[in-house]
Amino acid sequence: MLDAISTLSLLALLLGLGLGYAAIRYRVKGNPLIDQIDAILPQTQCGQCDFPGCRPYAEAIASGEVEINQCPPGGQEGVDALAELLGVETLPLNQVHGETQPKRVAVVDEKVCIGCTLCIQACPVDAFVGSSKVMTTVIAEECTGCDLCLPVCPVDCIDMVEIKPTFRTYVPDISELAHA
Amino acid sequence: MLKFKYNGGLKLENPYPVDEIDLIRIPLPDKVVLPMQQRIGNRAIPIVSVGERVLTGQIVATIDDQRCAPVHASISGTVVAIDEHVYAHKSGLKGLCVTIESDGKDEWVDTSIGCTEHYEACTPNTIYNKIRVSGIVGMGGAGFPTHTKVRLAEGCHTLLVNATECEPGITCDAALMQAYPTKVIRGIEVLLHICKAERAIIAIEDDKQDAIAALNKFCNNENITIEVMPTKYTSGAEKLLLKSLLGIEVPTGKFASDVGVLCQNVATVVAMFDAVVENRPLISRAVTVAGSAVKESKNFQVRLGASYDYLLSFVDIVEGSHKISMNGLMMGIELDSTNYSVSKNTNCVFIDQLEESKPIKECIRCGLCNTVCPVDLLPQQLYWYSKSENIDKAIEYNLLDCIECNCCSYVCPSYIPLVDYYQYSKSLYKQQVKEKQQTESARERYEFRELRLERNKRERAEMMEAKKIALKEKMARDKALKATVEAALKRVEAAKSAHGSQDDG
Repeated sequence: MLDAISTLSLLALLLGLGLGYAAIRYRVKGNPLIDQIDAILPQTQCGQCDFPGCRPYAEAIASGEVEINQCPPGGQEGVDALAELLGVETLPLNQVHGETQPKRVAVVDEKVCIGCTLCIQACPVDAFVGSSKVMTTVIAEECTGCDLCLPVCPVDCIDMVEIKPTFRTYVPDISELAHA
Repeated sequence: MLKFKYNGGLKLENPYPVDEIDLIRIPLPDKVVLPMQQRIGNRAIPIVSVGERVLTGQIVATIDDQRCAPVHASISGTVVAIDEHVYAHKSGLKGLCVTIESDGKDEWVDTSIGCTEHYEACTPNTIYNKIRVSGIVGMGGAGFPTHTKVRLAEGCHTLLVNATECEPGITCDAALMQAYPTKVIRGIEVLLHICKAERAIIAIEDDKQDAIAALNKFCNNENITIEVMPTKYTSGAEKLLLKSLLGIEVPTGKFASDVGVLCQNVATVVAMFDAVVENRPLISRAVTVAGSAVKESKNFQVRLGASYDYLLSFVDIVEGSHKISMNGLMMGIELDSTNYSVSKNTNCVFIDQLEESKPIKECIRCGLCNTVCPVDLLPQQLYWYSKSENIDKAIEYNLLDCIECNCCSYVCPSYIPLVDYYQYSKSLYKQQVKEKQQTESARERYEFRELRLERNKRERAEMMEAKKIALKEKMARDKALKATVEAALKRVEAAKSAHGSQDDG
């Protein structure tokens, strides 16, 4: 009787210590769901979802405060992917937040630019290069096409240009190969 | 006969046989259109302007990129335009071209700075550089800059010269070998000198007996062997050549240079000889003009940038509706017109009688494609995955190993253009990879910016706090100082008054 009680107590103590240690040692920092949602979002950082960036929106989705259909750059595919991840019914993209547009990139008309640096401050991904009173330009590869630089420009020298396919990025059309 | 073998492949007859293969030199074209975007790498930047007079062999466009070769004027004359033309590419996209109008003189620029006959005395670096400035790229179709390829293969054990020309109907390499066998052999010696390989193997198919005889006659270097292979389509693919001749299989995503072999097309070897020994940059190439609508197929040595129409004016063409294609019946592409120009990797122009196109039917899962695939893939599976845009699964089934040889489409009884589907999947995959990288980069940059703004805010607050404290301390110090001064003044005052009272006393 005593043997059994002491054995079980010892066992419980050891296992408890082990579990307690593991809980501290292998603690998951942050919410992994937020990372998973953030991975699906397009990282345009455009704020069309009414949040200041993709991660804040991911946090809001994870806490269940908002719907999953507020991201126009992600498109319907993005909404579907989020629905699948969260195990909920998918929704049509909410048109209030804007429409899905083809991928674009900001281009500065360098003759007009006055070097006010307002766009540098507005850009969420630091894609502008410039300094006060000198010409500013865009690192095209880093631009996410979020449009946030457009309203701040006092001389309207930024254009959003659609990215055209090049010889290297060309994707052939297989819809023409329809079967007879 | 071959020691090693590969599965699949096709035995194809030459659809346009000729009695005798000959390389015909044609007069200078009146006008050349030189494309700035070559097969890979960045677009070259024109360094001439409209109205400028250029000489043959002068560099008209260049770019500092290891994957890009400079472009040379192929005739002497005046630059008449630098504008966009539709390229001979599947996409039908437009790209920048330099147009030169000939003055008929063919005046050469001085290219004499080089290695000449005494290339043995030059360091490999000098020769790489000569190859680079001569604008030489792989002329078998891949268009990879030769200087980069040779440099990558430094320290290789074998030099493999690809003279198989396995695409049915193309005979320009055979014509080149028959016309310049010594250039082939000497060119190989130059390559052996710079890449330090112990041996060279010329791989050639047994349907080119005249070329084999010509090479045998002039090959007196014991390090060079001529390997005659049975005629079979896709033998000429670099990886398959390595497999069938050397028994080496190149792993996925690796190149011949990774397994110690340098593989060069025979036309590239000749171009390299011209550049290193004769100081002639790449300004012309051999092109086959053939087809069921061409009365007699011919090979022409033509200046780069000459139009297809100009080439076709030297052959007799049967009237009627034509199908125009370039770079072969199997791996080539179909074109909508002859309004294109010869580029560094144009090896043939075919004009065929237009036949009724065969309707595409459903896949009946016959499995014929699986038996002909030379790289042991499962074309049928890849087709289903590509069609349903299941790219991950297609990649899992080694889609990226597909050499797009079209054997599967050729045998398909349902006439499914399988390779079109694979190309679609491949470009979609490329796009996805790029997008993923961009997304990752945007996330990192956004997070870093947030971090920086946060840090700036904190630093500013800390700075303000520090300033406040400093101000307080200063005020306290000032107060103390003031007090000391006042106290001192008071003492002086007291002393003065004491002194005064003493004086009075």
